Amino acid sequence: MDPILRRSLIWYLLHLMTYSGILGRYLIVGSWQAFEIIPLFMPVWLISSVVWSEREESYAFLRVLPITDRSIVRTKFMLILSITVVYWLLMEGVTLARQGSGVAGGPSTLTFITLACVYALLLGACFQVGYWRFGASVVTPAGVVYMGLNLALAIIHTASLRFEPDWPVLAQSAPIRWLSDSLWLSHLVLVALALLVFYGLMRIGFRIKTSSEACL
Amino acid sequence: METILEARALTKDYEDFSLRGISLEVRRGSIAGIFGPNGAGKSTLIKVLTHQVPHRTGTVRVFGQSYEEHEPGIKNRIGYVPQEPAFYMDRSVRWTARFAAPYFANWDGSCFYKLLDDFKVNPLRQVKHLSGGQRKLLSLALALSHGADLLVLDEPTAGLDIVYRRALLDRLRAFVADGDRTVIVASHITDGLDEIAEDVWFLNDGRIVTHEDKDELLSRWKWIHFREGALPRAVEDRLKNVRRQPFGSSGLTDEFCELRDELATALAAGDARLENASLEDILLTQIKEE
Repeated sequence: MDPILRRSLIWYLLHLMTYSGILGRYLIVGSWQAFEIIPLFMPVWLISSVVWSEREESYAFLRVLPITDRSIVRTKFMLILSITVVYWLLMEGVTLARQGSGVAGGPSTLTFITLACVYALLLGACFQVGYWRFGASVVTPAGVVYMGLNLALAIIHTASLRFEPDWPVLAQSAPIRWLSDSLWLSHLVLVALALLVFYGLMRIGFRIKTSSEACL
Repeated sequence: METILEARALTKDYEDFSLRGISLEVRRGSIAGIFGPNGAGKSTLIKVLTHQVPHRTGTVRVFGQSYEEHEPGIKNRIGYVPQEPAFYMDRSVRWTARFAAPYFANWDGSCFYKLLDDFKVNPLRQVKHLSGGQRKLLSLALALSHGADLLVLDEPTAGLDIVYRRALLDRLRAFVADGDRTVIVASHITDGLDEIAEDVWFLNDGRIVTHEDKDELLSRWKWIHFREGALPRAVEDRLKNVRRQPFGSSGLTDEFCELRDELATALAAGDARLENASLEDILLTQIKEE
């Protein structure tokens, strides 16, 4: 296995395990609110993986080795994409499994999870490019602030759902219901669009990684 | 002789510093020395030559190839020791070698551990617990363990004690002994490196001030120590860096061949004597003249 991939993968797998172990179990044993809340934490976990992986990355050392910037960019981006797919498969799998018992919210929940994963994927890619463009000293604090804000909002949302059942339920909002009316088509379009933008970000990543010295 | 590295009209801009149109050629089997004061642009030039940082304009070709098309192939044949080597600081020396090894086509693990043993670097230690000098030696061990044809060292003797400095110079001599491999060293001090360098570049303020074969350079430049009034006025006026002291004066010349006849009388009478100039003397004089 590529050493760069192996080193970064440890952080991504560690985060995936904690997500599945700590939060993912609520999808299995929790009520319908779990399907509203748990996907909101997923972007935080993914950004945290990027931050931890990049925190100890040594691009100056990699520059000495016979590796191209393109292969580094490709490795990092494929890792973000692959791990997002795993998160998505896990959450969609549990949702489909629990639909039978009437707990999970059906097509709109599936769409909501897909949207959360698309958001996380693109945000993760932006953070990754940000590390190359601005360096760890700028992007790591930005990542920590983002994670703090996102966690706070997710917790407030959780509390509001508990005390006020009428609180806007994101998974049942009008746009998501509209998308879930044609589930397969909307998923296809969402995934295609996400991959297109992701590919565009990867191209930007190629250019920035070869021209910027901020991460060295 | 075959050119192993060729740079043409290189420029590189930072906020407060620029490399200005640098061109150089390094011959296969030679030891090339790039010398200059702090801030002259040596490290930037070395980084551009080894494709550590991008340059603005100009071209670099190594082994006749460009980095844009053949980066992994070229870097497989270059051993680069940066001024401040970077590693994964929380990892051990052994982990570092395991990480780097798969990328090199001709990695020689036994050579690496033999070098570590010679340098007295413990492979089980975390890199962050190594001294600056030991990190440099680790970087050198990595550079020498994958069959590189070109060794590029930035301030290689900085942070090394006299024993390791001497050992390094011996290794560099041995590295080029077969005539196939090449070394480029950059340093602000000529201490020891001037002994082994064959081609010399002086860099100042982002541009090359001088490039010459070292032997030719040293044969042209001489210190002339003389008694006051012993030299013809015309000769004295052409001396550089003249130091006047009660017991005698001295000045440096890069026109020794032309002045030889005019100096003959004073030299024969014992009123003047010659001394070889060091690279450091020449470098300092040229920078002053700038």
